[in-house]
Amino acid sequence: MSDDSKPLGKPPGRDLRADLCRGLALWMIVVNHTPGNWLNGFTLKNFSLSDATEVFVLLAGYAAAFAYAGMADRQGWAPAAASLGARIAKLYVVHIFLLVVFTAQVGFSAATLDRAVYLDELALDAFAEQPYRTLLEALLLRFQPAFLDILPLYIVLLAMLIPGLLLRRRPWLVLGLSLGLWLGARALGVNFPRWQEGGWFFNPLGWQVLFVLGFLLGQSVRGAVSLPLPPRNALVTAGAVAVLVIGLLAMIASEAQPWLLEPLPLWVPGFLASMDKTSLHPARLASILALAYLVGAYLPRDGWVVRAAWLRPFILMGRHSLPVFCFGILLSFMVRLLLEVDDGWGMQVLANALCLAALITVAWIGEWSRSTTRRRDPVLPAAAGSH
Amino acid sequence: MPMRFFLILLLLAAMPFTARAAACDVPAEVMSAARPMPAVARAIQARNLRVLVLGSGSITGPGASGPDAAWPARLEAMLAQRHPGVRVELAVRGGRGVTVQDHLALLREGQTIHAPSLVLWQAGTVEAVRGLDPDEMGEAMMQGLERIRRAGADIIVVDQQYSRFLRANTNIEPYRDKLRLVAAAAGASLFRRYDLMQHWVETGALDMERTARADRAAATDRLNDCLARALAELIAQGVAEAR
Repeated sequence: MSDDSKPLGKPPGRDLRADLCRGLALWMIVVNHTPGNWLNGFTLKNFSLSDATEVFVLLAGYAAAFAYAGMADRQGWAPAAASLGARIAKLYVVHIFLLVVFTAQVGFSAATLDRAVYLDELALDAFAEQPYRTLLEALLLRFQPAFLDILPLYIVLLAMLIPGLLLRRRPWLVLGLSLGLWLGARALGVNFPRWQEGGWFFNPLGWQVLFVLGFLLGQSVRGAVSLPLPPRNALVTAGAVAVLVIGLLAMIASEAQPWLLEPLPLWVPGFLASMDKTSLHPARLASILALAYLVGAYLPRDGWVVRAAWLRPFILMGRHSLPVFCFGILLSFMVRLLLEVDDGWGMQVLANALCLAALITVAWIGEWSRSTTRRRDPVLPAAAGSH
Repeated sequence: MPMRFFLILLLLAAMPFTARAAACDVPAEVMSAARPMPAVARAIQARNLRVLVLGSGSITGPGASGPDAAWPARLEAMLAQRHPGVRVELAVRGGRGVTVQDHLALLREGQTIHAPSLVLWQAGTVEAVRGLDPDEMGEAMMQGLERIRRAGADIIVVDQQYSRFLRANTNIEPYRDKLRLVAAAAGASLFRRYDLMQHWVETGALDMERTARADRAAATDRLNDCLARALAELIAQGVAEAR
């Protein structure tokens, strides 16, 4: 969402702001996946109607435009589709691996904590009750334990992009189809099915609209056929600020200072209670778009944020988001176990420091290995497929 | 088992802090203020207080020494004690694995009690454990709360129990957020059982997960008694607000 438009055919270099935002979002996702972590009080979800998941999905679409639409433009649809297929397969295998680790974690913590009798309504161990069926349902992505719901969404979004790439030169049609699907799924209550009851925690039919908007944004920024970017003017800015301020007030009233809700008419908390995350409530969408607009319009592309040394690790994390994301989910299991043992300040500091250091290390290794590969193989297209 | 040994060491290190058993205090910052409870106030004046408890596993007092030790039963006894001369009747509906949808069905089919003045609705644990849609839970609960409100009863929403196991292994936060908003939207009081139990764990007053197996029934009794005491206090506050 940068307004310093470069001449066509000469796409601007990598936008470090996107990497930075993605890096921060990845870190927040790990923190949000560790209940009991004190840092949970400081992530985006406390201050805005949208949270790190929205940032991640928007930027996933953005990166997909650079990686796959760019590839389709250069080499044709089939190689890009094949590359997407390979990425999906990788994500799927990672998801199944994480599921196995998660199951082991639940078993381990049940055994070590010797969970109290009053918790016996916990039916977390679907694996203990129906192991073969559960395994099958997990493979079908119809069984998703707590905290393992983002990767299945990402897998479906990338799968939808395979036919979507064919329409990449018709942005208005893409936008129309996407909005129609989102609103239709919301109106009819359609969702991907879960095994026992209900639907996915993140409904891909709803969330695709954010991915598509990110994709169109990426197309625009890289100079391909796309929708015009919103102009940088006072009116849009005021609208975006208003959306974020209202969201901030709503979060303060509903989370931090619940007494603020009491004098308000009942429909205010009623509206807040009716805001769903599952199919991406319009207020959440408005919130993330407002945030993206303000970052795009007012954070200079080469400003201090992307040059600040202490933010450098997050830019690296954003650049290597796949290994960082997957490793982050794995780390969140370990942090949960540590906090289960002890959640005093000593452990809080230790667990978070270890976790962040590990994430930075993973990103750094990714950077190092890419630079060594590139030196050996100079024909590799730069920065393609990096998300 | 080096890992288990490590964990035990950590537990031992934490002992001096957790072993300091205190009374189950109810600090103001852990309690939400009660909303006025005019129906309860009227019922006490009419010397006949009917209370309905909707809930899942905890309402039957699993792990306690007997059904009389469960928090609803303890609450009934405490209310009767606080208001001599008032006939207190408390009925419990629900049980292990019962969801908000099931409670809503009970309310719709009239399978509850006649004209309660107060409804305590304990919810959100089964949904969190099974990973059911928090939004659907919220919607069903709003419908149920609206129905109760129209029938003229005061409402207390009781949220989840706290435990490290639950916190580490379920995505509990969205369900807690939803309960809080739903209670506010219905003008109902919220009994923050989760925060209260966490406070007791952190101050070492009551830590079920680190109570030896032999002492667990006694500790469960005490937990239920403490919860009932805090609830009775919340009700007294609501009645005072209504005057």
